[in-house]
Amino acid sequence: MIRLLVTRVLLGIVTLLIAVTVTFFVVHASGNPVAQILGDSATPGRVAEVTHQLGLDRPLYEQYLEFLGQLARGDLGVSLRYNEPNAELVLQRMPATAELAASALLIALVLGVTLGCVAAVREGGAVDRVVTAVSAIGTSAPVFWFGLMGILVFAVLLGWLPAGQMQSPISLVLPASTLSLLPLAQVARLTRSAMSETLRMPFVVAANARGLAPLRVIVNHALRNSAIPVLTIFGLQTGLLLSGAVTVEYVFAWPGLGTLATDAVQGRDFSLVQAVVVVGVVVFVLVNFVVDLLYTIIDPRIRESRA
Amino acid sequence: MAPLLEIDDLTIEAATGEGPITLLDGLTVSMDAGQVLGLIGESGSGKTTTARAMIGMLESNLSVRRGSIRLAGTEITAARPRELRAVRGRDVGFVFQGAGSSLDPLLRVDHQLDEVIRRHRRDVDRSRRRTMTLEALASMGFADPEHVARSYPHQLSGGMRQRVSIALAMVVRPKMLIADEATSALDVTTQKEVVQLLTRLVAENGVGMVFVTHDLVLAEEICTSVAVLRRGRLVEYGPVERIMTDPQAEYTRELLAAVPRW
Repeated sequence: MIRLLVTRVLLGIVTLLIAVTVTFFVVHASGNPVAQILGDSATPGRVAEVTHQLGLDRPLYEQYLEFLGQLARGDLGVSLRYNEPNAELVLQRMPATAELAASALLIALVLGVTLGCVAAVREGGAVDRVVTAVSAIGTSAPVFWFGLMGILVFAVLLGWLPAGQMQSPISLVLPASTLSLLPLAQVARLTRSAMSETLRMPFVVAANARGLAPLRVIVNHALRNSAIPVLTIFGLQTGLLLSGAVTVEYVFAWPGLGTLATDAVQGRDFSLVQAVVVVGVVVFVLVNFVVDLLYTIIDPRIRESRA
Repeated sequence: MAPLLEIDDLTIEAATGEGPITLLDGLTVSMDAGQVLGLIGESGSGKTTTARAMIGMLESNLSVRRGSIRLAGTEITAARPRELRAVRGRDVGFVFQGAGSSLDPLLRVDHQLDEVIRRHRRDVDRSRRRTMTLEALASMGFADPEHVARSYPHQLSGGMRQRVSIALAMVVRPKMLIADEATSALDVTTQKEVVQLLTRLVAENGVGMVFVTHDLVLAEEICTSVAVLRRGRLVEYGPVERIMTDPQAEYTRELLAAVPRW
């Protein structure tokens, strides 16, 4: 168990390192942010001065090593644009994104598992065909399109829901449903395929032969035995969910990490972009670690092999 | 008194792309409590199909064309799903082929037994269910039922798993047991143990057992009567001694000739 913990932490650090390295060089390749930060009226001399102040004129590797050093000390740096600690900016925006992402995941999990189960139990039935079609659309159409369509139909045409911004609990409905679509489609599709395989297993047939109620066989036996692949994809969805949140927050003017990231990218606020990426990667690694622990709770064989 | 199991003119068809195929053609057999009916045949003879039909669990492309199955007073072929679920487990226990592949790998043995008791004995409270669970395991010859109860299936040997499967089939004391190639996947020593266990259950509890096998030697050892099936037809049916000593059908004679004797 301790070995598992150590490997997980090491793997997490490697993941983080790769992600921040890629981010660092990509944002720095986009050019000097100082001109944009100072605005059109800045003189070339002033630009050079600020560039020097921010240390952006130093060799790239030096800046990279300094950034890693800061990160190792848990320092996320200071925003170039706002001149405030990135950690504070990120923390301010975190609750809004957490609320959005958690709601989307909850919708995806509850609805996706339910639909996937029904589709597997009634293979070839109406629900099955709807799930197949919807998951094809859900995985192939872009998130922003769903967001815009959602606004058009439910906010503009029907007037049932607010089009954006964070005002009341009900304003969560449209962005959360939009964000949930992709994970929902994937969870439903995976639940369906895992369940339809499990339902054919001898022990499920045997459970039926013992006269157990159908719902009990489906939930207590088949679903439990299908849970591991579903959980795995669920953990991986967090990554997609975070990138989806960027789009969805932008479309719905949601004051979360996504809009912060969008603004930071547009304003070439290198250090803020990196801070958001770091937080995203840490969340991703943590969620997948929890998923990994859940394997142990679900499957006694995995539990023993790790004991 | 009506027999425990009465199958009359049972005919089962499979729907295929090229029209229906008859898998079982006019089977008529019966069995009383305390007896063991052997269904003998090679693969494709219809023996497993017959066993599955007895609990109303045919594969989705199979259907009963005509005939009847009366099991402990219930007409299986006409029963609604709810009635069938009550019959399964309560009136008839089913033991499958394969050493314990009928156990859920993620649940402890006691959990799985408890689930069956709770389903069929609604009036029984938790502590009584625990007692029934341990008793069922003890009567399967486990020296330490507590330990087995707390185990997960993968922690048990093949023979132990199959005995747990039998415990699951017997825990609410059904009138009848169906063993579908229940010993085929086990090694010879374990097989013998399981066969002895089944024989003892029949003798002590007066249950009737349908024993599906391709193994004539085994059938001779355990059955009171035998039905030999070939390609869905009954080729010979009668008391086991008569069939072993004086087979009437050519096919039975061939089967017997293939068995080593010493």
